[in-house]
Amino acid sequence: MERRRLLKGAAGSALAVSAAGLSGLALAQQGKKILVIASGQDIPNFDPHVATGYSASMLLRNTYDGLVRVEGNPPKVMPHLAASWAVSPDGLEYVFKLDTAARFQDGTPVTANAVAYSLRRTLRLAKGNAWMIAGVVDPNGIEATDVQTVKFKLLKPFAPFLSVLPWQFIVNPVLVETNKGADDGQEYLRKNLAGSGRFKIKRAEQGNLYEFERVAQPWKAGGNLDGAIWKIVRETSSQRLMLARGDAHIAVDLTSEDMDALKDRPGVVRILEPEFRTFSIKMNTESGPLADANLRKAVSHAFNYKGMLDAAGYAELMVGPLPPGLMSDPKLKVPRTDLEAARAYMAKSKYPNGGVKLTMVHVTGLEQQRQWSLVLLDSLKKIGIDLEIKPMVWPDMVASTKTPATTADFFPVYQTGNYADPDNVAYAAYHSSRNGNWQNPVYKNPKVDALIEKGRGEIDPKKRLAIYTEFQKMVVDDAPDIFGVLEKRRIAMRDTVQGFSFTPVASNAIDLQKLSLK
Amino acid sequence: MFAYILRRVVLLVPVLLGLSMMVFAIGRLLPGDPVMLAAGPNASREEIAALSAEFGLDQPIPLQYWRYLTGLLQGDWGRSLQTRGPVLEDLKVYLPATLELVLAAMLIAVVAGILLGLLAAVRRNGWIDYLVRLASLASISMPRFFLGLILQLVFAMWLGWAALGGRFPLTLSPPPSVTGMLTLDSLIAGDMQALLLALQHLALPAIAMSLSPLATITRMMRASTMEVLQQDYVLTARALGIPPRKLLFKHVLRNALSSTLTVIGLYFGWLLGGTVLVETVFDWPGVGLYATKSILTQDFMPVMGVVLSIGTMFVVFNLVIDLLYGVINPKVQLR
Repeated sequence: MERRRLLKGAAGSALAVSAAGLSGLALAQQGKKILVIASGQDIPNFDPHVATGYSASMLLRNTYDGLVRVEGNPPKVMPHLAASWAVSPDGLEYVFKLDTAARFQDGTPVTANAVAYSLRRTLRLAKGNAWMIAGVVDPNGIEATDVQTVKFKLLKPFAPFLSVLPWQFIVNPVLVETNKGADDGQEYLRKNLAGSGRFKIKRAEQGNLYEFERVAQPWKAGGNLDGAIWKIVRETSSQRLMLARGDAHIAVDLTSEDMDALKDRPGVVRILEPEFRTFSIKMNTESGPLADANLRKAVSHAFNYKGMLDAAGYAELMVGPLPPGLMSDPKLKVPRTDLEAARAYMAKSKYPNGGVKLTMVHVTGLEQQRQWSLVLLDSLKKIGIDLEIKPMVWPDMVASTKTPATTADFFPVYQTGNYADPDNVAYAAYHSSRNGNWQNPVYKNPKVDALIEKGRGEIDPKKRLAIYTEFQKMVVDDAPDIFGVLEKRRIAMRDTVQGFSFTPVASNAIDLQKLSLK
Repeated sequence: MFAYILRRVVLLVPVLLGLSMMVFAIGRLLPGDPVMLAAGPNASREEIAALSAEFGLDQPIPLQYWRYLTGLLQGDWGRSLQTRGPVLEDLKVYLPATLELVLAAMLIAVVAGILLGLLAAVRRNGWIDYLVRLASLASISMPRFFLGLILQLVFAMWLGWAALGGRFPLTLSPPPSVTGMLTLDSLIAGDMQALLLALQHLALPAIAMSLSPLATITRMMRASTMEVLQQDYVLTARALGIPPRKLLFKHVLRNALSSTLTVIGLYFGWLLGGTVLVETVFDWPGVGLYATKSILTQDFMPVMGVVLSIGTMFVVFNLVIDLLYGVINPKVQLR
């Protein structure tokens, strides 16, 4: 009897703790406004000039500041550390006036010297987001003309300059210099912050969670959050369950099936918006049968686009090399499924009767890419082309793109927009300087290169639009890709989250600045 | 006995050396390019080359291996290309989490498996026996991740008794880290509420992990107990009037346990290396996920670290098992 009573007591107390300790605990937060975000990606490195990936972007944009910030849809560049700026007519000189209120987390003011120091460190380390400004910003051309004014003399005009600046974070030079070590402060900044952002790190549990806490006196007004937790939840279905149960406020890595399951769920808001993230199937324009442009065009017209879209879940078809919103040309004529046209191009190619065997690689385990490969296989059968589908692990695929000879005939590529400018996609995916790299393994056309360079150097928006219109037409004429789909960003959140506005750049790197909890 | 232990520990050196050599060679001979991957899609050739030099990957492979070995002796387990951080730092976080999970799963499997096996053997062909056999078969057949999802749905979503995932409630700070195992750390800190919370998080993944070894141990135990029960000395003991419970636990159990111990030793290694699915489902930040991610990005220093540490633990655990043979059955002489 004694023992039974004891057991009953133990079970009862365990349940009591479970009720108090688990359900509702995550969102009760002891009266504090703590936003919980479920994401699949860890944040292993905090160095703003080294770290990459959307999770790192989330940490950096909330703990550090850039001169400007990006928000809205279509994305707009807004003042941040810089209260105002002026650009010289030739686009070579930018002068930023810093906000006098801007303070680092240790209370010291953010100065023009700190800006110069940070951009020079970025260029010196040549890691992280340095590629966005490498060859554009001259380390010796950054000048702090007074405490609050910083002048950039660019090496050449670069129209997307303001668009890349939200991702160039400003560090506190005193802190970095004090902890410089032998590696320019990399070891220190890997786990410590030296920023001016609204939040600091309260708790970092590698592989598990990162807790943010609002600094005592943020220099810029914002939402009512006291803190936030970036919880790593690898399984997307677990993210969905957490959101449904109210254990998380935002889930950022949901699948189309998860979004379907959350439809009409009370208290949950779904965000399904097109982002600047394209999926194309690159063709080997340099080596093998697809070096023949007519064969590429035959393939582009034989491809079953509807089949691709059906397998894609929440997505829309691409309408050319550039995503809508980034100067894509609505009048551009892109290939759509047309077997007659495909056969006509086949007849003009070196392989009028087909009988060619081509290879498509895709990432092992990515079901969607496998399905799209099957769509391609089925489409090519209709014009007498055989397709071999080879699943590969991603590092092997990356290594295979070093030369045209080792690149597969078909190579699938997701291209994520890093900054809100057509130059981002155009340069990464079609400029020949990127050959030997998975984003553009082989395609090269000197005229296209010239247009891309002209586009990034032209600061007159009207002239830029004309350049990119011509660029898109030329790329479509060359048919280096099967232009695939733009997947919609799938984010779901509780309806208690307020102040969220979708921006099609790095939207899963949640910006906490303006968010509030009811 | 001491000489035996010493010899086994010394033998660990060539085992680990061979293991490290094999994994290092495989890692370096694979066709992928981890540096290009780690440098990111927008890196220039110069940046990729600089990163390669920073990590010493531009050196000949034997020299890289030699540097790795000499580094190990000085406590330097290398750095991860992806995170740029020291591997040892990562292992200190991930290994205790996995070890806690595996030990809890083994504890459930061993205790329940031995008892159920004994019970099934004693009640042979009774309803308990049939039930145990059916449950064992079902447990072995069911994939661990699927079981994990069902447990989550029933105990976390519907009943709300356990946590969906993770090791500790999100908004609470865990007890100060001493061992890295939250249950032990809670005990060390004397914080009983933390212990209960840690157990609530540990329960579901541990049960999901334990069912397959539990089923195997149950069946092994049932078979060996039945064999022992038919021995003449059991009949003699019964004839001498030794109480059934004493006979079962003092004589039958000891003799039936030796073959089951071997399985327990093997399962320990198997579980240590096979946590990834359960870790994924329950967001258990353990070494399985760490290793998988490193393998997929061909980040080989972490992989080396994981293989060597799991290899060492596996050998040590099996040494303990070997010693236990002697404890359970004094006739076994360890030389």
